[in-house]
Amino acid sequence: MPDTPHTHPYRSLRLGVAGPVGTGKSSLIATLCRALAAEIEIGVITNDIYTDEDARFLRSAGVLDPARIRAVETGACPHTAIRDDVTANLAAVEEMEEEFSPLDLVLVESGGDNLTATFSPALVDAQIFVLDVAGGGDVARKGGPGIARADLLVVNKTDLAPYVGVDVAQMVADAESAREGAPVLALSRSDAASVAALRSWLLGLLAAHRDGAHEPQDPGPMAPHFHAEDDEHDHSHGESHDHAHDYEHPHDHEHPHEPVPAGSGA
Amino acid sequence: MPPTAVPSVSLAMLLADSRLPVGAHVVSGALEAALLDGLPREQVGAYMRARMATIVQVEAGTAVVARQAAAAGRAARGTGAPGEDGPDADAPGADAPGSDGLGAAALAEVARAWEARTPARPQREIGIALGDGLARLARTVWPEAFPARAGRGPHLPRPVVLGAIAAHAGLTAVDLVRLVAYDDAQTVASALLKLEPGDPLAAAGLVLEACAALEPSVPELSRLTSPTAIPAAGAPQIEEWATAQSVLPRRLFRA
Ligand SMILES: Nc1nc2c(ncn2[C@@H]2O[C@H](COP(=O)(O)OP(=O)(O)OP(=O)(O)O)[C@@H](O)[C@H]2O)c(=O)[nH]1
Ligand SMILES: [Mg+2]
Repeated sequence: MPDTPHTHPYRSLRLGVAGPVGTGKSSLIATLCRALAAEIEIGVITNDIYTDEDARFLRSAGVLDPARIRAVETGACPHTAIRDDVTANLAAVEEMEEEFSPLDLVLVESGGDNLTATFSPALVDAQIFVLDVAGGGDVARKGGPGIARADLLVVNKTDLAPYVGVDVAQMVADAESAREGAPVLALSRSDAASVAALRSWLLGLLAAHRDGAHEPQDPGPMAPHFHAEDDEHDHSHGESHDHAHDYEHPHDHEHPHEPVPAGSGA
Repeated sequence: MPPTAVPSVSLAMLLADSRLPVGAHVVSGALEAALLDGLPREQVGAYMRARMATIVQVEAGTAVVARQAAAAGRAARGTGAPGEDGPDADAPGADAPGSDGLGAAALAEVARAWEARTPARPQREIGIALGDGLARLARTVWPEAFPARAGRGPHLPRPVVLGAIAAHAGLTAVDLVRLVAYDDAQTVASALLKLEPGDPLAAAGLVLEACAALEPSVPELSRLTSPTAIPAAGAPQIEEWATAQSVLPRRLFRA
Protein backbone atom coordinates (compact mmCIF):
# COMPACT_ATOMS: atom_id res chain seq x y z
CA MET A 1 0.00 0.00 0.00
CA PRO A 2 1.19 3.51 -0.69
CA ASP A 3 3.08 5.26 2.00
CA THR A 4 1.07 8.38 2.64
CA PRO A 5 1.32 9.03 6.34
CA HIS A 6 0.56 12.74 6.08
CA THR A 7 -2.87 12.04 4.69
CA HIS A 8 -3.79 10.07 7.81
CA PRO A 9 -4.48 11.18 11.34
CA TYR A 10 -1.45 11.22 13.56
CA ARG A 11 -0.03 8.14 15.21
CA SER A 12 2.64 8.41 17.89
CA LEU A 13 6.29 8.10 17.05
CA ARG A 14 7.48 4.76 18.37
CA LEU A 15 11.13 4.97 19.32
CA GLY A 16 13.21 1.98 20.43
CA VAL A 17 16.17 2.29 22.80
CA ALA A 18 18.58 -0.65 22.60
CA GLY A 19 22.11 -1.41 23.71
CA PRO A 20 24.13 -3.60 26.07
CA VAL A 21 23.34 -4.00 29.75
CA GLY A 22 23.93 -0.98 31.92
CA THR A 23 24.91 1.49 29.20
CA GLY A 24 22.24 3.90 30.41
CA LYS A 25 19.10 3.14 28.37
CA SER A 26 16.70 3.72 31.26
CA SER A 27 18.59 6.83 32.31
CA LEU A 28 18.45 8.18 28.76
CA ILE A 29 14.69 7.62 28.71
CA ALA A 30 14.40 9.42 32.03
CA THR A 31 16.49 12.26 30.62
CA LEU A 32 14.26 12.51 27.55
CA CYS A 33 11.14 12.54 29.69
CA ARG A 34 12.59 15.21 31.91
CA ALA A 35 13.51 17.31 28.90
CA LEU A 36 10.26 16.88 27.00
CA ALA A 37 7.35 15.78 29.19
CA ALA A 38 6.15 19.36 29.58
CA GLU A 39 5.86 19.79 25.80
CA ILE A 40 4.80 16.44 24.40
CA GLU A 41 2.75 13.43 25.52
CA ILE A 42 5.00 10.45 26.25
CA GLY A 43 4.52 6.78 27.12
CA VAL A 44 7.23 4.25 28.01
CA ILE A 45 7.38 0.47 27.59
CA THR A 46 10.24 -1.42 29.21
CA ASN A 47 11.40 -4.93 28.41
CA ASP A 48 13.13 -6.76 31.19
CA ILE A 49 14.66 -10.15 31.13
CA TYR A 50 13.38 -11.11 34.47
CA THR A 51 12.18 -8.32 36.57
CA ASP A 52 10.29 -5.09 36.13
CA GLU A 53 13.27 -3.24 37.55
CA ASP A 54 13.46 -0.77 34.67
CA ALA A 55 9.80 0.19 34.86
CA ARG A 56 10.18 0.66 38.59
CA PHE A 57 13.31 2.75 38.19
CA LEU A 58 11.55 5.01 35.72
CA ARG A 59 8.44 5.32 37.86
CA SER A 60 10.55 6.25 40.84
CA ALA A 61 12.45 8.81 38.80
CA GLY A 62 9.20 10.81 38.90
CA VAL A 63 9.60 12.08 35.35
CA LEU A 64 6.30 10.72 34.05
CA ASP A 65 2.90 9.64 35.33
CA PRO A 66 3.62 6.09 36.59
CA ALA A 67 0.61 4.77 34.65
CA ARG A 68 2.41 5.73 31.45
CA ILE A 69 5.27 3.35 32.19
CA ARG A 70 4.66 -0.33 31.53
CA ALA A 71 6.79 -3.44 31.67
CA VAL A 72 6.60 -6.25 29.12
CA GLU A 73 7.94 -9.66 30.05
CA THR A 74 10.14 -11.28 27.48
CA GLY A 75 10.16 -14.90 28.60
CA ALA A 76 13.95 -14.97 28.71
CA CYS A 77 14.07 -13.94 25.05
CA PRO A 78 14.69 -10.19 24.92
CA HIS A 79 15.77 -10.43 21.28
CA THR A 80 12.64 -12.28 20.25
CA ALA A 81 10.36 -9.79 21.98
CA ILE A 82 11.67 -6.83 20.00
CA ARG A 83 12.38 -8.50 16.71
CA ASP A 84 10.89 -11.80 15.59
CA ASP A 85 7.83 -11.93 17.82
CA VAL A 86 6.85 -8.41 18.78
CA THR A 87 3.30 -9.39 19.80
CA ALA A 88 3.52 -8.47 23.48
CA ASN A 89 5.32 -5.20 22.81
CA LEU A 90 3.00 -4.15 20.03
CA ALA A 91 0.01 -4.91 22.24
CA ALA A 92 1.53 -2.83 25.04
CA VAL A 93 2.30 0.07 22.69
CA GLU A 94 -1.17 0.04 21.17
CA GLU A 95 -2.83 -0.20 24.56
CA MET A 96 -0.81 2.74 25.79
CA GLU A 97 -1.67 4.77 22.69
CA GLU A 98 -5.34 3.97 23.13
CA GLU A 99 -5.41 4.77 26.79
CA PHE A 100 -3.52 8.05 26.64
CA SER A 101 -4.57 9.15 23.19
CA PRO A 102 -3.19 11.18 21.60
CA LEU A 103 0.41 10.36 22.49
CA ASP A 104 3.27 11.99 20.62
CA LEU A 105 5.97 9.54 21.55
CA VAL A 106 6.20 5.98 22.85
CA LEU A 107 9.66 4.94 24.01
CA VAL A 108 10.39 1.21 24.07
CA GLU A 109 13.44 0.09 26.06
CA SER A 110 14.84 -3.27 25.04
CA GLY A 111 16.02 -5.76 27.61
CA GLY A 112 19.71 -4.94 27.91
CA ASP A 113 21.50 -7.76 26.22
CA ASN A 114 24.32 -7.68 23.77
CA LEU A 115 25.46 -6.00 20.63
CA THR A 116 23.24 -7.90 18.23
CA ALA A 117 19.75 -7.01 19.47
CA THR A 118 17.85 -4.54 17.30
CA PHE A 119 14.18 -3.64 16.97
CA SER A 120 11.99 -4.77 14.12
CA PRO A 121 10.49 -1.94 12.08
CA ALA A 122 7.19 -3.73 12.76
CA LEU A 123 7.51 -2.45 16.32
CA VAL A 124 9.29 0.90 16.16
CA ASP A 125 9.64 3.76 13.70
CA ALA A 126 13.20 4.53 14.74
CA GLN A 127 15.78 3.36 17.25
CA ILE A 128 18.61 4.67 19.37
CA PHE A 129 21.51 2.37 20.18
CA VAL A 130 23.30 3.19 23.42
CA LEU A 131 26.96 2.44 24.20
CA ASP A 132 28.90 3.88 27.08
CA VAL A 133 32.51 4.88 27.51
CA ALA A 134 32.88 2.47 30.43
CA GLY A 135 32.34 -0.47 28.08
CA GLY A 136 35.61 0.46 26.39
CA GLY A 137 36.66 2.82 23.63
CA ASP A 138 36.93 0.05 21.07
CA VAL A 139 33.31 -1.14 21.23
CA ALA A 140 32.18 1.31 18.57
CA ARG A 141 34.77 -0.14 16.18
CA LYS A 142 33.49 -3.66 16.73
CA GLY A 143 30.28 -2.79 14.96
CA GLY A 144 27.04 -4.71 14.79
CA PRO A 145 23.70 -3.81 13.31
CA GLY A 146 22.68 -1.39 16.06
CA ILE A 147 26.01 0.41 16.14
CA ALA A 148 26.22 0.62 12.39
CA ARG A 149 22.65 1.38 11.43
CA ALA A 150 20.46 2.55 14.32
CA ASP A 151 18.96 5.97 13.63
CA LEU A 152 21.15 7.43 16.37
CA LEU A 153 24.17 6.02 18.18
CA VAL A 154 24.71 7.41 21.66
CA VAL A 155 28.11 7.22 23.34
CA ASN A 156 26.94 7.65 26.90
CA LYS A 157 28.46 8.60 30.25
CA THR A 158 31.15 10.81 28.75
CA ASP A 159 31.66 12.26 32.24
CA LEU A 160 33.30 8.94 33.13
CA ALA A 161 35.81 9.03 30.28
CA PRO A 162 38.76 10.32 32.33
CA TYR A 163 38.28 7.53 34.87
CA VAL A 164 38.19 4.73 32.35
CA GLY A 165 40.89 6.08 30.09
CA VAL A 166 38.72 6.55 27.02
CA ASP A 167 39.25 9.26 24.44
CA VAL A 168 35.68 10.35 23.69
CA ALA A 169 36.56 12.21 20.51
CA GLN A 170 38.30 9.12 19.18
CA MET A 171 35.41 6.84 20.15
CA VAL A 172 32.94 9.14 18.41
CA ALA A 173 35.15 9.31 15.34
CA ASP A 174 35.37 5.50 15.23
CA ALA A 175 31.61 5.28 15.53
CA GLU A 176 31.09 7.84 12.81
CA SER A 177 33.26 5.90 10.43
CA ALA A 178 31.51 2.62 11.31
CA ARG A 179 28.24 4.41 10.57
CA GLU A 180 29.34 6.11 7.40
CA GLY A 181 28.31 9.48 8.65
CA ALA A 182 25.03 8.61 10.38
CA PRO A 183 24.55 10.57 13.61
CA VAL A 184 26.56 9.85 16.75
CA LEU A 185 25.95 11.72 19.98
CA ALA A 186 28.34 11.93 22.91
CA LEU A 187 26.07 12.17 25.93
CA SER A 188 26.25 12.61 29.64
CA ARG A 189 23.24 13.32 31.74
CA SER A 190 25.34 15.85 33.63
CA ASP A 191 26.33 17.72 30.45
CA ALA A 192 23.45 20.04 29.62
CA ALA A 193 24.68 20.80 26.12
CA SER A 194 24.66 17.11 25.19
CA VAL A 195 21.16 16.68 26.63
CA ALA A 196 20.02 19.64 24.56
CA ALA A 197 21.49 18.00 21.46
CA LEU A 198 19.60 14.78 22.22
CA ARG A 199 16.42 16.75 22.71
CA SER A 200 16.72 18.55 19.40
CA TRP A 201 17.55 15.32 17.55
CA LEU A 202 14.35 13.83 18.92
CA LEU A 203 12.23 16.86 18.07
CA GLY A 204 13.64 16.78 14.54
CA LEU A 205 12.73 13.11 14.19
CA LEU A 206 9.27 13.77 15.58
CA ALA A 207 8.72 16.54 13.06
CA ALA A 208 9.87 14.27 10.22
CA HIS A 209 7.58 11.51 11.44
CA ARG A 210 4.63 13.89 11.56
CA ASP A 211 5.34 15.15 8.06
CA GLY A 212 5.60 11.61 6.80
CA ALA A 213 9.18 12.32 5.82
CA HIS A 214 10.68 9.69 8.10
CA GLU A 215 10.97 6.19 6.73
CA PRO A 216 11.62 3.42 9.27
CA GLN A 217 14.80 1.48 8.52
CA ASP A 218 15.72 -1.99 9.66
CA PRO A 219 19.28 -2.08 11.01
CA GLY A 220 19.25 -5.72 9.98
CA PRO A 221 20.00 -8.91 11.86
CA MET A 222 23.48 -10.04 12.82
CA ALA A 223 26.52 -8.11 11.72
CA PRO A 224 27.93 -10.55 9.11
CA HIS A 225 24.65 -10.54 7.23
CA PHE A 226 24.31 -6.87 6.53
CA HIS A 227 24.03 -5.24 3.13
CA ALA A 228 24.75 -1.66 4.00
CA GLU A 229 26.39 -1.02 0.66
CA ASP A 230 23.55 -2.54 -1.31
CA ASP A 231 21.03 -0.63 0.71
CA GLU A 232 22.64 2.63 -0.13
CA HIS A 233 22.09 2.11 -3.80
CA ASP A 234 18.96 0.06 -3.67
CA HIS A 235 16.28 1.22 -1.36
CA SER A 236 13.93 -1.49 -2.38
CA HIS A 237 16.16 -4.10 -0.78
CA GLY A 238 13.71 -6.94 -0.43
CA GLU A 239 14.20 -8.57 2.91
CA SER A 240 13.56 -5.81 5.36
CA HIS A 241 10.56 -4.48 3.49
CA ASP A 242 8.89 -7.82 3.03
CA HIS A 243 9.57 -8.62 6.62
CA ALA A 244 8.00 -5.45 7.82
CA HIS A 245 5.06 -5.97 5.55
CA ASP A 246 4.37 -9.42 6.91
CA TYR A 247 3.93 -8.04 10.36
CA GLU A 248 2.27 -4.90 9.35
CA HIS A 249 -0.62 -5.83 7.22
CA PRO A 250 -3.18 -3.08 7.69
CA HIS A 251 -5.58 -5.50 9.32
CA ASP A 252 -3.08 -6.04 12.04
CA HIS A 253 -4.07 -2.75 13.54
CA GLU A 254 -6.64 -2.29 16.14
CA HIS A 255 -7.26 1.38 15.71
CA PRO A 256 -9.33 2.42 12.79
CA HIS A 257 -7.66 5.81 12.95
CA GLU A 258 -4.23 4.33 12.80
CA PRO A 259 -2.48 5.60 9.74
CA VAL A 260 0.69 4.06 8.70
CA PRO A 261 2.22 0.94 10.11
CA ALA A 262 5.76 1.29 11.26
CA GLY A 263 7.88 0.04 8.47
CA SER A 264 5.39 0.04 5.64
CA GLY A 265 7.57 2.31 3.65
CA ALA A 266 7.76 -0.01 0.67
CA MET B 1 -1.99 -13.08 0.40
CA PRO B 2 -4.22 -15.23 2.65
CA PRO B 3 -4.16 -18.91 1.83
CA THR B 4 -7.35 -19.85 0.07
CA ALA B 5 -7.55 -23.57 0.65
CA VAL B 6 -5.03 -25.40 2.75
CA PRO B 7 -5.79 -28.70 4.40
CA SER B 8 -6.54 -28.98 8.08
CA VAL B 9 -3.18 -30.57 8.79
CA SER B 10 -1.26 -27.61 7.36
CA LEU B 11 -3.28 -25.22 9.49
CA ALA B 12 -2.59 -27.36 12.52
CA MET B 13 1.13 -27.31 11.82
CA LEU B 14 1.16 -23.56 11.37
CA LEU B 15 -0.76 -22.94 14.57
CA ALA B 16 1.28 -25.44 16.57
CA ASP B 17 4.63 -24.09 15.45
CA SER B 18 6.41 -22.33 18.27
CA ARG B 19 8.03 -20.08 15.67
CA LEU B 20 4.63 -18.53 14.98
CA PRO B 21 4.90 -14.95 16.22
CA VAL B 22 1.91 -14.79 18.55
CA GLY B 23 3.63 -14.07 21.83
CA ALA B 24 3.55 -17.58 23.30
CA HIS B 25 7.24 -17.83 24.20
CA VAL B 26 6.63 -16.24 27.59
CA VAL B 27 4.67 -19.25 28.83
CA SER B 28 5.89 -22.36 30.66
CA GLY B 29 2.59 -23.88 31.75
CA ALA B 30 3.58 -22.91 35.31
CA LEU B 31 6.47 -25.35 35.08
CA GLU B 32 8.90 -22.80 36.47
CA ALA B 33 6.91 -22.47 39.69
CA ALA B 34 6.37 -26.23 39.83
CA LEU B 35 10.10 -26.96 39.63
CA LEU B 36 10.84 -24.31 42.24
CA ASP B 37 8.24 -25.88 44.47
CA GLY B 38 10.12 -29.17 44.25
CA LEU B 39 8.57 -31.03 41.31
CA PRO B 40 11.40 -33.41 40.37
CA ARG B 41 12.56 -33.31 36.78
CA GLU B 42 11.66 -37.00 36.39
CA GLN B 43 8.06 -36.14 37.08
CA VAL B 44 7.68 -33.55 34.36
CA GLY B 45 6.19 -36.20 32.08
CA ALA B 46 3.60 -36.98 34.74
CA TYR B 47 2.95 -33.25 35.08
CA MET B 48 2.28 -33.01 31.36
CA ARG B 49 -0.10 -35.98 31.54
CA ALA B 50 -1.88 -34.44 34.52
CA ARG B 51 -2.42 -31.33 32.42
CA MET B 52 -3.90 -33.54 29.68
CA ALA B 53 -6.40 -34.94 32.17
CA THR B 54 -7.44 -31.53 33.45
CA ILE B 55 -6.52 -28.18 31.86
CA VAL B 56 -6.27 -29.54 28.34
CA GLN B 57 -9.76 -31.04 28.62
CA VAL B 58 -11.11 -27.59 29.40
CA GLU B 59 -9.04 -25.82 26.75
CA ALA B 60 -9.71 -28.34 23.99
CA GLY B 61 -13.41 -28.61 24.86
CA THR B 62 -13.69 -24.82 24.79
CA ALA B 63 -11.95 -24.64 21.41
CA VAL B 64 -14.27 -27.25 19.89
CA VAL B 65 -17.41 -25.57 21.18
CA ALA B 66 -16.14 -22.17 19.99
CA ARG B 67 -15.51 -23.67 16.57
CA GLN B 68 -19.07 -24.94 16.57
CA ALA B 69 -20.44 -21.55 17.65
CA ALA B 70 -18.48 -19.71 14.97
CA ALA B 71 -19.55 -22.23 12.34
CA ALA B 72 -23.19 -21.82 13.38
CA GLY B 73 -22.79 -18.06 12.98
CA ARG B 74 -21.49 -18.62 9.48
CA ALA B 75 -24.33 -21.02 8.69
CA ALA B 76 -26.87 -18.51 9.90
CA ARG B 77 -25.44 -16.12 7.36
CA GLY B 78 -25.97 -18.74 4.70
CA THR B 79 -22.34 -19.65 4.30
CA GLY B 80 -22.55 -23.22 5.51
CA ALA B 81 -20.59 -25.04 8.14
CA PRO B 82 -16.97 -26.03 7.65
CA GLY B 83 -16.44 -29.47 6.21
CA GLU B 84 -14.46 -32.06 8.06
CA ASP B 85 -11.85 -32.34 5.38
CA GLY B 86 -11.19 -28.85 4.16
CA PRO B 87 -12.22 -25.25 4.25
CA ASP B 88 -15.65 -24.44 3.03
CA ALA B 89 -16.50 -21.76 0.54
CA ASP B 90 -15.08 -18.51 1.73
CA ALA B 91 -17.56 -15.83 2.55
CA PRO B 92 -17.32 -12.80 4.74
CA GLY B 93 -17.72 -14.31 8.18
CA ALA B 94 -19.00 -11.77 10.61
CA ASP B 95 -18.65 -14.34 13.35
CA ALA B 96 -15.16 -13.31 14.18
CA PRO B 97 -13.94 -12.04 17.51
CA GLY B 98 -14.55 -8.35 17.62
CA SER B 99 -17.20 -8.16 14.97
CA ASP B 100 -20.81 -7.42 15.57
CA GLY B 101 -21.96 -10.25 13.39
CA LEU B 102 -23.75 -13.44 14.16
CA GLY B 103 -21.70 -15.67 16.35
CA ALA B 104 -20.00 -12.97 18.39
CA ALA B 105 -22.52 -13.39 21.19
CA ALA B 106 -22.19 -17.16 21.03
CA LEU B 107 -18.39 -16.87 21.25
CA ALA B 108 -18.74 -14.60 24.25
CA GLU B 109 -20.87 -17.26 25.89
CA VAL B 110 -18.20 -19.88 25.22
CA ALA B 111 -15.63 -17.53 26.70
CA ARG B 112 -17.73 -17.25 29.85
CA ALA B 113 -17.93 -21.04 30.10
CA TRP B 114 -14.13 -21.16 29.82
CA GLU B 115 -13.72 -18.52 32.52
CA ALA B 116 -15.96 -20.46 34.88
CA ARG B 117 -13.76 -23.52 34.38
CA THR B 118 -10.49 -21.61 34.73
CA PRO B 119 -10.54 -20.54 38.35
CA ALA B 120 -7.02 -19.17 38.78
CA ARG B 121 -6.91 -15.53 37.73
CA PRO B 122 -3.37 -15.73 36.28
CA GLN B 123 -4.51 -18.58 34.03
CA ARG B 124 -7.34 -16.46 32.73
CA GLU B 125 -5.02 -13.51 32.23
CA ILE B 126 -2.48 -15.43 30.19
CA GLY B 127 -5.31 -17.10 28.25
CA ILE B 128 -6.55 -13.65 27.23
CA ALA B 129 -3.06 -12.37 26.40
CA LEU B 130 -2.44 -15.38 24.17
CA GLY B 131 -5.90 -14.99 22.63
CA ASP B 132 -5.07 -11.38 21.77
CA GLY B 133 -1.83 -12.47 20.11
CA LEU B 134 -3.62 -15.09 18.07
CA ALA B 135 -6.38 -12.63 17.13
CA ARG B 136 -3.69 -10.28 15.85
CA LEU B 137 -2.47 -13.07 13.58
CA ALA B 138 -6.04 -13.85 12.48
CA ARG B 139 -6.71 -10.23 11.54
CA THR B 140 -3.68 -10.28 9.28
CA VAL B 141 -4.09 -13.70 7.70
CA TRP B 142 -7.90 -13.90 7.50
CA PRO B 143 -8.96 -10.24 7.34
CA GLU B 144 -12.21 -11.20 5.62
CA ALA B 145 -13.33 -13.03 8.76
CA PHE B 146 -11.48 -11.10 11.45
CA PRO B 147 -12.04 -7.40 10.88
CA ALA B 148 -10.03 -4.78 12.71
CA ARG B 149 -11.30 -4.22 16.18
CA ALA B 150 -13.03 -0.97 16.73
CA GLY B 151 -11.35 0.52 19.75
CA ARG B 152 -11.28 -1.83 22.67
CA GLY B 153 -13.10 -4.82 21.29
CA PRO B 154 -13.70 -7.99 23.24
CA HIS B 155 -10.65 -9.87 24.48
CA LEU B 156 -11.27 -13.56 23.97
CA PRO B 157 -9.17 -16.36 25.43
CA ARG B 158 -6.88 -18.39 23.24
CA PRO B 159 -9.08 -21.50 22.87
CA VAL B 160 -12.04 -19.39 21.74
CA VAL B 161 -9.96 -17.54 19.14
CA LEU B 162 -8.49 -20.87 18.02
CA GLY B 163 -12.00 -22.27 17.60
CA ALA B 164 -13.07 -19.26 15.54
CA ILE B 165 -10.01 -19.64 13.33
CA ALA B 166 -10.73 -23.35 12.98
CA ALA B 167 -14.28 -22.64 11.84
CA HIS B 168 -13.19 -20.09 9.29
CA ALA B 169 -10.04 -21.66 7.96
CA GLY B 170 -11.12 -25.27 7.99
CA LEU B 171 -9.34 -26.95 10.87
CA THR B 172 -11.26 -30.09 11.78
CA ALA B 173 -12.51 -30.66 15.30
CA VAL B 174 -10.23 -33.63 15.93
CA ASP B 175 -7.20 -31.75 14.63
CA LEU B 176 -8.19 -28.83 16.84
CA VAL B 177 -8.27 -31.03 19.95
CA ARG B 178 -4.89 -32.51 19.09
CA LEU B 179 -3.46 -29.09 18.39
CA VAL B 180 -4.48 -27.83 21.83
CA ALA B 181 -2.97 -30.92 23.44
CA TYR B 182 0.27 -30.74 21.47
CA ASP B 183 0.66 -27.05 22.19
CA ASP B 184 0.22 -27.55 25.91
CA ALA B 185 2.76 -30.37 26.03
CA GLN B 186 5.27 -28.58 23.84
CA THR B 187 4.95 -25.42 25.95
CA VAL B 188 5.99 -27.34 29.06
CA ALA B 189 8.70 -29.30 27.25
CA SER B 190 10.33 -26.23 25.70
CA ALA B 191 10.24 -24.41 29.01
CA LEU B 192 11.92 -27.42 30.57
CA LEU B 193 14.80 -27.02 28.11
CA LYS B 194 15.37 -23.50 29.39
CA LEU B 195 14.84 -24.25 33.08
CA GLU B 196 16.52 -27.64 33.53
CA PRO B 197 17.91 -28.70 30.18
CA GLY B 198 18.80 -32.34 30.83
CA ASP B 199 18.66 -34.34 27.62
CA PRO B 200 16.83 -32.09 25.14
CA LEU B 201 15.90 -35.02 22.93
CA ALA B 202 14.19 -36.83 25.77
CA ALA B 203 11.81 -33.87 26.07
CA ALA B 204 10.49 -34.65 22.59
CA GLY B 205 9.56 -38.12 23.80
CA LEU B 206 7.66 -36.59 26.71
CA VAL B 207 5.61 -34.51 24.28
CA LEU B 208 4.55 -37.60 22.36
CA GLU B 209 3.69 -39.49 25.53
CA ALA B 210 1.55 -36.61 26.71
CA CYS B 211 -0.24 -36.41 23.37
CA ALA B 212 -0.86 -40.14 23.51
CA ALA B 213 -2.39 -39.72 26.95
CA LEU B 214 -5.03 -37.43 25.51
CA GLU B 215 -5.91 -39.69 22.55
CA PRO B 216 -8.70 -41.61 24.35
CA SER B 217 -10.49 -38.29 24.99
CA VAL B 218 -10.22 -37.03 21.41
CA PRO B 219 -13.48 -38.49 20.03
CA GLU B 220 -15.61 -37.23 22.86
CA LEU B 221 -14.01 -33.78 23.05
CA SER B 222 -14.27 -33.29 19.32
CA ARG B 223 -18.01 -33.95 19.37
CA LEU B 224 -18.88 -31.32 21.98
CA THR B 225 -21.33 -28.67 20.86
CA SER B 226 -22.69 -26.95 23.94
CA PRO B 227 -20.82 -24.65 26.35
CA THR B 228 -22.42 -26.44 29.27
CA ALA B 229 -20.86 -29.72 28.13
CA ILE B 230 -17.29 -28.41 28.26
CA PRO B 231 -15.43 -30.50 30.85
CA ALA B 232 -14.93 -28.80 34.20
CA ALA B 233 -11.82 -30.59 35.35
CA GLY B 234 -10.23 -28.77 38.24
CA ALA B 235 -6.55 -29.14 38.99
CA PRO B 236 -5.91 -27.41 42.31
CA GLN B 237 -2.16 -28.11 42.32
CA ILE B 238 -1.71 -26.69 38.82
CA GLU B 239 -3.85 -23.70 39.73
CA GLU B 240 -1.70 -23.12 42.77
CA TRP B 241 1.48 -23.29 40.72
CA ALA B 242 -0.02 -20.97 38.10
CA THR B 243 -0.83 -18.52 40.85
CA ALA B 244 2.64 -18.85 42.40
CA GLN B 245 4.19 -18.35 38.95
CA SER B 246 2.37 -15.05 38.52
CA VAL B 247 4.14 -13.54 41.52
CA LEU B 248 7.53 -15.25 41.22
CA PRO B 249 10.34 -12.75 41.54
CA ARG B 250 13.04 -12.98 38.84
CA ARG B 251 11.07 -15.40 36.77
CA LEU B 252 12.00 -16.39 33.24
CA PHE B 253 8.39 -17.07 32.26
CA ARG B 254 5.34 -14.92 32.69
CA ALA B 255 3.06 -17.94 33.15
N1 LIG C 1 28.29 8.72 35.27
C1 LIG C 1 27.19 8.48 34.59
N2 LIG C 1 26.47 7.40 34.91
C2 LIG C 1 25.34 7.17 34.21
C3 LIG C 1 24.91 7.99 33.14
N3 LIG C 1 23.76 7.47 32.63
C4 LIG C 1 23.49 6.36 33.36
N4 LIG C 1 24.43 6.17 34.31
C5 LIG C 1 24.48 5.09 35.31
O1 LIG C 1 24.69 3.86 34.65
C6 LIG C 1 24.04 2.81 35.36
C7 LIG C 1 23.15 2.04 34.44
O2 LIG C 1 22.14 2.91 33.95
P1 LIG C 1 20.74 2.42 33.42
O3 LIG C 1 20.05 3.61 32.86
O4 LIG C 1 20.05 1.60 34.43
O5 LIG C 1 21.24 1.48 32.24
P2 LIG C 1 20.38 0.50 31.30
O6 LIG C 1 21.05 0.46 30.00
O7 LIG C 1 18.97 0.89 31.34
O8 LIG C 1 20.58 -0.88 32.06
P3 LIG C 1 19.81 -2.26 31.82
O9 LIG C 1 18.36 -1.90 31.61
O10 LIG C 1 20.05 -3.04 33.06
O11 LIG C 1 20.43 -2.86 30.62
C8 LIG C 1 23.30 3.46 36.50
O12 LIG C 1 24.06 3.35 37.66
C9 LIG C 1 23.19 4.90 36.07
O13 LIG C 1 23.10 5.80 37.14
C10 LIG C 1 25.71 9.14 32.83
O14 LIG C 1 25.43 9.92 31.92
N5 LIG C 1 26.84 9.32 33.57
MG1 LIG D 1 17.31 -0.24 31.80
